Amino acid sequence: MTSPLVTHGVGKRYRRRWALRDCTLTVPERAIVGLAGPNGAGKSTLLGLTVGLFAPTEGRIDVLGRDPRRQPEVLADVGYVARDAPLYRSFTVRDTIEFARATNPGWDETIAGEFLTRLSADDRVSTLSAGGRARLALAVALGKRPALLLLDEPFARLDPLAAREFLQLLMDGVSELEATVVIASHVIADIERVSDHIVLLSEGHVRLEGSVEELVSSHRLLTGAARPLGRIPGVQEIVRERHSGRQMTLLARLNGRVVDTSWSVDEIGLEDLLLAYMAPERLPGPTAPEKGRLRWHG
Amino acid sequence: MAWVTWRQHRHQLLIGLALIVGLALAALVTGLPMRTAYQREALSSCLPPTARSGCDIIVRHFQSEFGSRVDIARYLILLPALVGMFVGAPLLARELEHGTHRFAWTQAVTRRRWLLSKTLLLALAVTLSALVLSAIVTWWRQPFDGLEGRMSPSGFEIQGLVVPAYAVFALALGVLAGAALRRSLAAMSLTLAAFVAVRLAVAKLLRPRYESPEHETMAGLVPGAHARDWVLSNSLVDAVGRHISATREDLAILHAQQARIDPQEYLLSLGWRRALSFHPADQFWTFQAIEAGIFFVFAAALLVATVWLLQRSPS
Repeated sequence: MTSPLVTHGVGKRYRRRWALRDCTLTVPERAIVGLAGPNGAGKSTLLGLTVGLFAPTEGRIDVLGRDPRRQPEVLADVGYVARDAPLYRSFTVRDTIEFARATNPGWDETIAGEFLTRLSADDRVSTLSAGGRARLALAVALGKRPALLLLDEPFARLDPLAAREFLQLLMDGVSELEATVVIASHVIADIERVSDHIVLLSEGHVRLEGSVEELVSSHRLLTGAARPLGRIPGVQEIVRERHSGRQMTLLARLNGRVVDTSWSVDEIGLEDLLLAYMAPERLPGPTAPEKGRLRWHG
Repeated sequence: MAWVTWRQHRHQLLIGLALIVGLALAALVTGLPMRTAYQREALSSCLPPTARSGCDIIVRHFQSEFGSRVDIARYLILLPALVGMFVGAPLLARELEHGTHRFAWTQAVTRRRWLLSKTLLLALAVTLSALVLSAIVTWWRQPFDGLEGRMSPSGFEIQGLVVPAYAVFALALGVLAGAALRRSLAAMSLTLAAFVAVRLAVAKLLRPRYESPEHETMAGLVPGAHARDWVLSNSLVDAVGRHISATREDLAILHAQQARIDPQEYLLSLGWRRALSFHPADQFWTFQAIEAGIFFVFAAALLVATVWLLQRSPS
């Protein structure tokens, strides 16, 4: 089993600013990866590098075992929907599909067709709703029968209903293709529903990476009386701490069981966990964590 | 990629076709009276070198009647620039402006193939259109080409092989400008400016040197001599071959007029002779081939530069 996407210390600099730095990742085959992080964290940059839209300033990137800049033919097996799903506005739906067929030798009519059921072939792209456009763009990306599918903020312009519909279509298509998927979104709730693997970017750096299961099970909220902090048995690292009155709450990464009974130990949901890594001031208070582990919607 | 090129550029192709049809009609409407007059006045018997008597008046009359049309036809030299501005410049700039390159260049067709197929197919269409146009102009100018030749810039630059060469060069220039500036309007302006600059530089600096010009010194000016050649310089020299300035010539003519002598004879009596350097009319196709070659080579170099820019530039 080879990983469809591996980055080795990848960095990308725009003039003076590093949009991405020291990014080392291995995306497991057939995973559905949620690429999270606030706006400007480097998500789009990472996806753009993956499809060779630009070249890394440093490091190396392997897409299905090949360099997307030097061997652009790898793009035949990579589906990519850029942010705002850019398509030719003057094209009709039929033209867009014809374009995809003309530019992709491995074009699969039937997969693409499933996404177009509610679009009329003669509609112009400029007249489509955001949901319609997203579906058309996804149809083009999946019609290539990609081994790796990259979606950049696919939900940004969709209303919640359209977003849910889009996700459903996406999941159906992906399970049919057995593709690896990377979905970049700054709205964690959107990717939380479908991701089994998380990469969290912040200010151009990878802050957190791992399978959802592993991340959720290795983090706990510890609440107890405020005290000077020393080493707590079972805690590998204190990620965040917050004080409220005489109480303190810690987000801790564990490497064993916390046996100290002066701490009350609570599970933390994925969204809260990621938010805590992204922004320290948003660490939930002691009452915030839900009893359920992961919030699965849809 | 042929379908993609057709779908994205069909409006431009149709406009180009309409333009050709329009110009063909205009050529027919304005050209037929010109040919009729040419036949009526039997101007073919006035062609150098066998000019019958009275020709100078007939030719001058013909030229004054139709000269303004020929002057207007000179504006056809702008057509290649339009190709560069409206077909070449937006080719990449529009994609980059609208972000659609992120869609187009992430399909299985590599961006290099995408660029080369589109540019070469458009270059082919432009070449064919330009050849048709150039054939129309050749037909239309035939009477004038007989009298004045087509070696001098007014005839040389709107017919023959150079027309497709200029147009393909303008196209490649526009595409490169679009890749470099990434904005349509800026790329269009740069295309126009660079096209005019290169065209002028080649016409003024290089073209006179394609072949070494021929020289001839003659006593007095024979009417109609070298009318079809491209005369580079025409000046008076004295008996030992020294150049005589225009001021001295004017003074001498004034002097002759005051003394009521024929100025031509007076100049001859001074031993002054007329020295011409020129490119003969029969060099037309040699010059056409050289100039077209230069612009096609330029176009190829620009295309290579565009591919290079596209491969390395971040987008």
